Amino acid sequence: MTSSTTDAPRQDVDPAPGATSGGGPLGLIKRAFGMESASVLVATVVLILVIGAIHPDFLDPRQLRDVLQQSVYVAVLAAGVAFLLAMREIDLSVGAIFGLSLICSAMLMRDGWNPWVAAVAGIVLGALLGLANAAIVQVFRIPAIVATLATLSMFRGLSLALSEGQQVVGLPLDHTFFEFFGGRLFGIPVSVLVLVVVAIVLTFVLRTTPFGYRVRSIGSNPDAAAFSGISLARVRIQALMLMGGLAGLAGMLGLAYFGSGDPNIGSGFELLAIAAAVIGGTPLRGGAATVVGAMLGAVLLSVVTSGLVYFDIPVNWSSFATGAVILIAVGIDSLLRRRREARAAAAGL
Amino acid sequence: MLSLEAQHVRKTYGGVTALADAGLRVRPGTVHALLGENGAGKSTLVKIITGAVRPDAGVLRLEGTDVSFSDTADAARHGVAVVSQELSLFPDLDVLSNMFPMREPRRGPFVDRGRMAELARPILDQLGLRVSLRDKVGDLSLAQRQLLEVAKALVTDPRVLILDEPTSALDSKTAEVLLDILRVLRDRQVAVVFVSHILEEVMALCDEVTVLRDGSTVLDAAPLAGLTIPKIVESMLGERHAELAEVRPRATVDLSGAVAAPRGSGALRVENVSVEDRLSDVSVTATPGEVVGLAGVAGAGHQTVLELAAGLRRPTAGSVLLPDGKPAPRGLRAAIARGVALVTGDRRRLGLMLDKPIWDNAGQVRSVALARDGLLVRKRTLRERAAEHASRVNLRTSSLEKSAGLLSGGNQQKVVLMKWLQTHPSVLLLDDPTRGVDIGAKAEMHGLVRSVADAGAVVLMCSTDLDELATLCDRVYVLHHGRVCAELAGETLRQHEILAAMNTGTVPTA
Repeated sequence: MTSSTTDAPRQDVDPAPGATSGGGPLGLIKRAFGMESASVLVATVVLILVIGAIHPDFLDPRQLRDVLQQSVYVAVLAAGVAFLLAMREIDLSVGAIFGLSLICSAMLMRDGWNPWVAAVAGIVLGALLGLANAAIVQVFRIPAIVATLATLSMFRGLSLALSEGQQVVGLPLDHTFFEFFGGRLFGIPVSVLVLVVVAIVLTFVLRTTPFGYRVRSIGSNPDAAAFSGISLARVRIQALMLMGGLAGLAGMLGLAYFGSGDPNIGSGFELLAIAAAVIGGTPLRGGAATVVGAMLGAVLLSVVTSGLVYFDIPVNWSSFATGAVILIAVGIDSLLRRRREARAAAAGL
Repeated sequence: MLSLEAQHVRKTYGGVTALADAGLRVRPGTVHALLGENGAGKSTLVKIITGAVRPDAGVLRLEGTDVSFSDTADAARHGVAVVSQELSLFPDLDVLSNMFPMREPRRGPFVDRGRMAELARPILDQLGLRVSLRDKVGDLSLAQRQLLEVAKALVTDPRVLILDEPTSALDSKTAEVLLDILRVLRDRQVAVVFVSHILEEVMALCDEVTVLRDGSTVLDAAPLAGLTIPKIVESMLGERHAELAEVRPRATVDLSGAVAAPRGSGALRVENVSVEDRLSDVSVTATPGEVVGLAGVAGAGHQTVLELAAGLRRPTAGSVLLPDGKPAPRGLRAAIARGVALVTGDRRRLGLMLDKPIWDNAGQVRSVALARDGLLVRKRTLRERAAEHASRVNLRTSSLEKSAGLLSGGNQQKVVLMKWLQTHPSVLLLDDPTRGVDIGAKAEMHGLVRSVADAGAVVLMCSTDLDELATLCDRVYVLHHGRVCAELAGETLRQHEILAAMNTGTVPTA
């Protein structure tokens, strides 16, 4: 492969931002995967190898499996956040929706509901909480970031109030729901398989349905979208409901794995999910998104958190270290992206 | 001695000549009208005088000394103030803060609001602007903001004050107040340059007139005494325009099949419609195959007619019927679903997603907003359909993957047209469709609009470009203060008649 700086490809490359192939090994990998999220994948792999080179224990398949398992919840949330960022919206209540739907389903199961029915109810509840967010935005005409800042506290408060601040225990852990979603299939955690399915479905929705196009059109130019006959309000409701439903789904996966309900679970997930989406390559200015990138961003964050444990970093410094790694990842990605865009502009594309 | 003098000013943008040989001589204590058609170069000349744009050649003198401004702040320090067409206020700040941008009086490191208020209050009172100094500018009406712009310019105590279409946002009473102020300034020996479309105001107010045509001064500081509206119109348009008007754009491409032949009665009918404060008893009919124009000075109501057809506004009386014979729906989305297409001159803000490729923009309405392709949107279909329409409208681009933002203005407008043609519209509404595109692209666009009409669609167009209205349209309704004052067609459809009717409300008898 020749390194092509001025002669950018015209037809055979996905024209989404960041998809232009650069030179060197990065370009090769990108072409191999054919996706714009390759750079975050490369970063993740490199980070794993670096940690593994210093602490070979980290490369143990069981360790890597745990890392993956831990990233699933934020990854599902990040996929939804990517949709919202693509239309210049944001939802700060995702961690709280995750927690509230988990707690509610756990309480229903404890009270004798069939766990399958309770799990579906949890996902529906998540979607309804998303609808509540959308309704608040619509009725009071306030930005989603403000509305969801309020509902973040309200939903979290409901989790605590309903559970009276106690762990919800005494769930029928021998039921197939827990055995299946908390277990493994072919050695892979089922929740990771669910994540893969979600990635495929959401990528499909984003890239090939009118809804996916509308989301990106609104993010690209809201006025032009409205003038083309796209209803901003309707798309916003749909996107926030999708986000809520995904948070509910993540909650069910968490419930199946943990086997109990902690009313504080998912605190801070909203910021991790936003960070993951941004690390994955979804720009905050809107107009574009990558679901796979957002999920890989969550995996990267999970690698950082787990990896730091190996480095004898004082526990009080781990938060600082996590932040530093996020900053480095986002910073490098942004610099590379700007160089690529400058190159693409020079080529007249 | 002259207050302001510009001589042999030349300016080209790329290959386009904005000013060829423009001059302006303003005496102190006069109100000087700077007139010209759209694109004659008025705005460019104003920008050069106020330091916003550097001329390629020419001399600029203030009270006899040669000057060359590095930027607008530099011009302001020399006593040149401008009230611009595009309002340049900060909507989130209050009235007082807006009056002293970057030059607040200070006491030590602090802004001296007391002193600011002392300076501002008399000027606001003089202008009859009854607002509190603490009012947020975003809450003011458009007319109040326009007056605030004037106040902001007056605070600097300018020697030369340029007003670029200052009354376009004002109702007649407020405009009258402003004109009185200008008379006061004139008595204070300020040189006032007044750029306006409204010739009645010019006649009532100005002392001398300079007319630009095609970037050159054709009437140089002529005293108003010897002038009449027809004479001014004559020099604005020139002789050759009268002949050129006979050359009508023809349909350049065959778009049959690209537009839907309207069902039902077939015509777009606006019948005895009134809209509060905007229209009274207006009737406009546009039949398929016709290009119908709407003309008027800003605020005359011609754009309201377009808004009615697009579902953006509801009539308070009368009815608006789309070609399918049913009333126009509430809301733009419903109108689009009924076959209405809307192309505005503000293509960068309202027409395009600048960061997206051409094919994505082209599929925006049909496949995305209306979801006419069903539950799936295939890139391949979008690309193929975009390629087909791109060749139809003769879009010039190396690739359909190119971002819309990188295209020229004319090509951008073609992409906007492409996205609407995909919906098979039965009504095409145009609002100043060729604003800011060069002459060649304009002619091409006119050919396309003709083609759309020939293919059987109803075409209704607003324009500030008189040449466009006179040559492209079959009929033109001229609105004056919310009423149709003239319906011009055939022999009478000429720029002279349009301009005169726009300004006076009556058609001159030849």
